[in-house]
Amino acid sequence: MTRIFKKHQALISGIISFAVLLLIWQFAVDFGYIKAFFVSSPSRVAVEFWRQLQSGEVRDNMAVSLYEFAVGLSLAVTVGGMLGVMAGWSRTIEYVLEPFIWFKYSSPTIAFYPLFIAWLGLGEPTIIAIAFIFALTPIYANTLSGIKNVDQDLVRAAISFGARPHDLFLKVTLPGSVPILIAGLRLAVGRALTGVIAAELFGATAGLGYSIAFYGQKLKTNEMMVSLVLVVILGVIFTQLLSLLESATDAWRPNVDR
Amino acid sequence: MSQIEIRDVAIEYKKPKSEESFVAIQGVSLSIEKGSFVTIVGSSGCGKSTLLLALAGLIECSRGSIRVEGKDVTGPGKDRAMVFQDASLLPWRSVHGNVRFALELQRWKRDDIDERAARFVRMVGLGNFADYHPHQLSGGMRQRVNIARALAVDPQVLLMDEPFGALDAQTREVMGDELLRIWERDKKTAVFVTHSIDEAIFLGDRVVVMGRNPGHIRDVVEIDLPRPRTAAMLDSPSFIEYRRKLRDYISADMQALHMVEDIA
Repeated sequence: MTRIFKKHQALISGIISFAVLLLIWQFAVDFGYIKAFFVSSPSRVAVEFWRQLQSGEVRDNMAVSLYEFAVGLSLAVTVGGMLGVMAGWSRTIEYVLEPFIWFKYSSPTIAFYPLFIAWLGLGEPTIIAIAFIFALTPIYANTLSGIKNVDQDLVRAAISFGARPHDLFLKVTLPGSVPILIAGLRLAVGRALTGVIAAELFGATAGLGYSIAFYGQKLKTNEMMVSLVLVVILGVIFTQLLSLLESATDAWRPNVDR
Repeated sequence: MSQIEIRDVAIEYKKPKSEESFVAIQGVSLSIEKGSFVTIVGSSGCGKSTLLLALAGLIECSRGSIRVEGKDVTGPGKDRAMVFQDASLLPWRSVHGNVRFALELQRWKRDDIDERAARFVRMVGLGNFADYHPHQLSGGMRQRVNIARALAVDPQVLLMDEPFGALDAQTREVMGDELLRIWERDKKTAVFVTHSIDEAIFLGDRVVVMGRNPGHIRDVVEIDLPRPRTAAMLDSPSFIEYRRKLRDYISADMQALHMVEDIA
């Protein structure tokens, strides 16, 4: 028993603390310390979740948000990856792109939201564009740094065996960059999800963010909480999947040998 | 004509961020016979690694020429393979995969690659470690992989840049023995750079002694010890005589350096 606990200490402690929080939340509302109007309660959220599941609301909102998320992220991976490779290959391209990257890093991108609405209209295209812009920088930056920081000893050894430029890219640079590329992807996933939800809060007709804003404005806390919880769960699932991928592809690194 | 002809080679580096250049080696001429084992020894900064990299075609000569089998060296080629000091193995590939890597780069036939890589992994005694990754191996084992990788591509000339430099003394001796055992099989021409005098004598048919400021060849010493070489020879009178001679050269070089530093 103690051995099992020690092995999974982090997981077990985490579950316990989370369960305690849920219990306190439930009882604080049930015994009237906090009004359900402000925080809802686990049982109320569960009941409302069941209703929204039956009515198809959960499915529809999830489908819309996940679609926008997937398209935005894929675009960011494609464009950011390509730009990163190009910038890693040519100094000139890196310098040409640099001001935009600085600009993107240092300004709150969401402030450009109204501009996107003016260009793309209210709804899906704008939301995808926001998710794309949010996720673009970490993909670009990590691809570039992966390519630039390729181990020169390995490059020299490969060249001594007659490696051509595309050999170097495919057999040394790219596999050597996998860990940092995955790290970039992990950041991008979180940001794309944030982008989708933030954009849906303001201008959408469906989606989890829309549902949160819609019920929020009507002061229907229970209904709103369902989508909020779903967003949190999605975020956790995505991050965990990427962590798994990270440790699977990172196994050759001596310092992460667990 | 010898297999390798180095004629009056000079190599200059541009110092970073200045117009000045640094002369690494100057006036180096050397002939190496096919099938001989030549070691190059010298204190650090004498340009011995630079000369080897030039032989490998990884740096250009500023003056003079290097020819292998009558052809000018203009870049890396299939006739030469290099064993590097350390850390030149792909960390994400297994032992087998690292040997495969060189064969892939030289476009060996797909059907042969796996079998050939496996054969050379076995030859250096790592048959049971073929699926291990470099970080799971000891320094000596990693250098065995490096040697297997270089031999697998079947070069005419094997170039080694202080391959055992990072190993402890015991492992180093074992690896020297091992290297000779492998080399005796088909006697490929070997050029071996080291800063260990004993290693240079033990391995070489000839020892090239280099000095510095700028790097040049001071002498070429014929090593008249029978093969196969054994550890017992390390204490033989002739070995001790070679050692004394080479040590004199190198300590003279070191003293010259100290005098320069004292004046400066």
